Amino acid sequence: MDRSAQSAVSSGAQVRLRKLSKAYGGLAAIDGVSFDVPAGAFVSLLGPSGSGKTTTLNLIAGFLAPDAGDILMDERSVADVPPHKRNIGMVFQSYSLFPHMTVADNVGFPLRMRSKLSRQAAQKRIAEMLALVQLSHLGARYPRQLSGGQQQRVAMARALVSAPRLLLMDEPLGALDKKLREQMQAEIRRIHRSVGTTVVYVTHDQSEALTMSDLVVVMHHGRIAQIGTPRALYESPADAFVADFIGDSNLLAASIIESGREGCKVKMHGGTVVATLPPSFAAAPGASAFLLIRPEDMNVQLQACAQSDGREQLTGVITELSFHGDVFKLAVAVGDDVLKAKVAREQGGTLAIGRQVILTWRRDAARLLPPAGGGASAIETATP
Amino acid sequence: MTAIAEYVAAPARRSVLARPHVVPALLLLPCLAWIAFFFLVPLGLMCWRSLAANGFSLQDYATLFTSPLYAKVMLTTLKAASLATALALLLAYPVAYALTMSGGLRRGLILVFVFIPYWVDIIVRSFSWLIMLGDHGLINKALINLGIVRAPLELLYNTFSVLIAMVQILLPLTIVIQFGAMLRIDRTLVAAAKIHGASPWQAFRTVFFPLSLPGVYGAGLLVFVLSLGFYVTPALLGSPRQTMIAQTIMVEASDLLDWGQASAAGFVLLVITTTIAAIYNRYFSLDRLWGGSEP
Repeated sequence: MDRSAQSAVSSGAQVRLRKLSKAYGGLAAIDGVSFDVPAGAFVSLLGPSGSGKTTTLNLIAGFLAPDAGDILMDERSVADVPPHKRNIGMVFQSYSLFPHMTVADNVGFPLRMRSKLSRQAAQKRIAEMLALVQLSHLGARYPRQLSGGQQQRVAMARALVSAPRLLLMDEPLGALDKKLREQMQAEIRRIHRSVGTTVVYVTHDQSEALTMSDLVVVMHHGRIAQIGTPRALYESPADAFVADFIGDSNLLAASIIESGREGCKVKMHGGTVVATLPPSFAAAPGASAFLLIRPEDMNVQLQACAQSDGREQLTGVITELSFHGDVFKLAVAVGDDVLKAKVAREQGGTLAIGRQVILTWRRDAARLLPPAGGGASAIETATP
Repeated sequence: MTAIAEYVAAPARRSVLARPHVVPALLLLPCLAWIAFFFLVPLGLMCWRSLAANGFSLQDYATLFTSPLYAKVMLTTLKAASLATALALLLAYPVAYALTMSGGLRRGLILVFVFIPYWVDIIVRSFSWLIMLGDHGLINKALINLGIVRAPLELLYNTFSVLIAMVQILLPLTIVIQFGAMLRIDRTLVAAAKIHGASPWQAFRTVFFPLSLPGVYGAGLLVFVLSLGFYVTPALLGSPRQTMIAQTIMVEASDLLDWGQASAAGFVLLVITTTIAAIYNRYFSLDRLWGGSEP
């Protein structure tokens, strides 16, 4: 979080969305979306396709007009301000560089439209931006002569050249391969730190959102499922949808038997265990819920050992085992439930499909969650 | 396993039909035969006639390039074709733009109104201008009855009437070609221009318009070549002063029976149009007109 504190000194705009709604042909794309983007922060809108994140971005850009609600930039409503007067920079999914202009002319476009800079000052500014994205040598080329990663950098330079107070990015890395993506993620973070503008970043890639953002807004069916720092979302997801969407997870249908001082006793297909009930979830005995255990919190043992305090355990059979370089991932059938676990490379050698194992985990690593805001069906829709 | 075995064994008992390109070539054959018989052969005959009508000489070509009549007719033709092309491009652009920007029902409606005249025969359309523009035509009657003019205006049998009919005939094609080219412009480019500070007019001028120019050039080329060969329209709506090259060729062939001269003129016209197409293709790539990839 020191990142946002650092950039608070910068020139980023504060953005507030107030109960924004937008429908297409009677179908709500977003419905009552409100959140605040602190000045200079890097905020991601994360969600599956159709969750309304791009609609939200287009409303902030001004390409769409909201049916209801308001957007404030630095406490001033911009609902009636056309896109070209909002002083925003934007990086599009397909880069959208002007094919008939050179790289330098692309980067200089916002300067020609917006500012009354002299020719020389504009040239200087373009050179600065090209240096920032490390493309100084390619100013005279045309976009089609560049690689995808280079076009991406030009799009960044164009979006930032007129020092906009807000930068919108619409799945900017979607078209790049994995290696280049990771490189560009680091690059975008570096540029964000150096220019300090506020960034609203749309992505459906949860790991991208986690690694890059100060704050993540998880969207689902046109509403906000949860807003929080990446760690908060991962460690205390608000509901089963968020838990399922962010990171790898075991989500097991469970019914609450009784809640005690040390935890809450629940019954699953595979057995009865004790789990943690977060304060936000007021569930009475008899209620149904989801039990979340992250695979990396799961310990895999070949022999039963004396049950230690504060741990739970279940016995099952390995049904899947796959090697991922640093870890082995395995699926273990426990009764009718299938649980995912991760083990370190050295331990994986002793495992095999069909082998009986004992899964153990700390009670406080197992959290009970309500189903998604939209109902139990949300779990299925979240998994592609 | 059997599938793999069959695949491996296949080359041994492959028929001629299995060779690449054989089937496509066979499928093209009827079409090629048609073109050869009804297009290439007559063209060859025409070329032969132009050279060998009276002994073997270039006499007919010499006449073509020295006679003041042909110079004048060719000049008239080029002038009429250029003007008609320019007007058609100018008038078609806003319609193509409207088509591009509207969706669904509105686009369908505009397209229907663009195409209805296109489905009507050229002769019928030219005749209808006679009815519209004549001394007792719709326009003159209306003007006289409204008391705007006293005597009928001379709207027929001049450059004006020829041009107006030519442009009307050329418009549907011009609109459709420009529309096709505009559809291929990525509209997020316009959004990108707007978010980076361009007003709607600036976004049009700096992004949409330059990107729509290939379509304008393409339409211009096709329409110009087409208008070089107009025959019915200037014959019905023009005076002898508006005589175009196709009419002259017709007169040479059917009235004067000078087939050699007619063939020579036809051949020169063909060379001119092919040259224009070739030059265009060199610089703008004709592929783009048919939706091919950018160069």
